[in-house]
Amino acid sequence: MATIIRPRDERTQPARIVPGYPQTPLRNPREPLVRREPTLSELTGPLEVAGRVKLLGGDIAGHGAAQAIGQLMHLRVRVLDEDGAPVGGTVVEIWQANAAGRYIHPNDDDHAPPDPNFYGAARLVTDESGAFELRTVKPGAYPVPTGDGWWRPPHIHFSVFGKVWLSRLVTQMYFPGEPLNAQDRILNAVPDAAARERLVARYVPPTGNPHNALVFEHQIVLRGKAATAEQP
Amino acid sequence: MIPTGEATLGPFFPPRYVDAAANDLTQFEGRKAQGEVIEISGRVAQEDGAPLENLVVEIWQADAQGIFRHPADPRHAQADPGFFGWGRAATDKDGRYVFRTIRPGAPAGRQPHVNFMVMFSGLLRILKTTMFFEDGPDPVLSLVSNRRNLLIGKKAEPTLVTFDIRLRGENETPFFDD
Ligand SMILES: [Fe+3]
Repeated sequence: MATIIRPRDERTQPARIVPGYPQTPLRNPREPLVRREPTLSELTGPLEVAGRVKLLGGDIAGHGAAQAIGQLMHLRVRVLDEDGAPVGGTVVEIWQANAAGRYIHPNDDDHAPPDPNFYGAARLVTDESGAFELRTVKPGAYPVPTGDGWWRPPHIHFSVFGKVWLSRLVTQMYFPGEPLNAQDRILNAVPDAAARERLVARYVPPTGNPHNALVFEHQIVLRGKAATAEQP
Repeated sequence: MIPTGEATLGPFFPPRYVDAAANDLTQFEGRKAQGEVIEISGRVAQEDGAPLENLVVEIWQADAQGIFRHPADPRHAQADPGFFGWGRAATDKDGRYVFRTIRPGAPAGRQPHVNFMVMFSGLLRILKTTMFFEDGPDPVLSLVSNRRNLLIGKKAEPTLVTFDIRLRGENETPFFDD
């Protein structure tokens, strides 16, 4: 199946250089990016990445005596393409801070305690309807060491492969109603308000599910449309 | 539907996601890839020349016959079953990445090449570029006429190609918007 990739609306994507985010002016090209028409090379890409990487599953909240500290939550995500068609069988990588805002990573300092029952990394494959479910704890906010009061709001990181090279996506998901959302320099690097809103998960009022978990829903849309019959 | 906005990988991408074997493309599902085994290696640096550690590099390329392992390639039924075509590496403290792969053939209408993606803290969007083995007529190379030498890997040894990636500054690598 051939895929069509169209140029994106720049207002729906983050600025490359962000005031107050000191690494961005050192790491983003000075020269304008070169616009190119995708060829077969960019309109193909790795399928079945699950055969090359280790899957870790989508249940990272722990169980019983080894349960992670924090608010248990279920996140239901659907991965779609620009036609709204499900992207099934694709690898999704997920990482997040623990409930105190601490990552298990050599780069994270000791601003908050680690949780021995929370590693914070999931890796799974979407089902045929493009869906996956993550059982986790709600991540905490954490301060960025810029020294000027920037805190990252609670967020979850995603890396998604999709069907072709140009559908590859790295993004972050935010939570509704968080006061820190309004001042976050990464979320607000996206100029279009509606596009920012689409990065925020939907809160689903609890209906007494057996695990008493908070429930959130989210949608991830990858680049790409199916090529239809040629127009006359 | 409108594609989701990108965001940076951030400083905390889990180290376990870049497993040691993911930069070796010379075998797949117990089979050896056909073609000449080569190493592609390079250093990734930011504007001040400082090397960047734990930066994630991913590549995608055709097999030795120039076929992509993907149904959109009209020749994909003949793709090498021992070659997956995708790999991932993280840079070391000197900013160096290494891939072991095979020299790709020429896809229809293109020079042999390897697609690169760079993901890192401070990159709100993935940076994409393409490495070539030598100069020649190619629709992508022709777009960067005055900087095309920066997209051509250097043959350091018979089976070692070096391709440094400069995110910004002197000899800045051309990146593509597509
Ligand atoms: Fe984060």
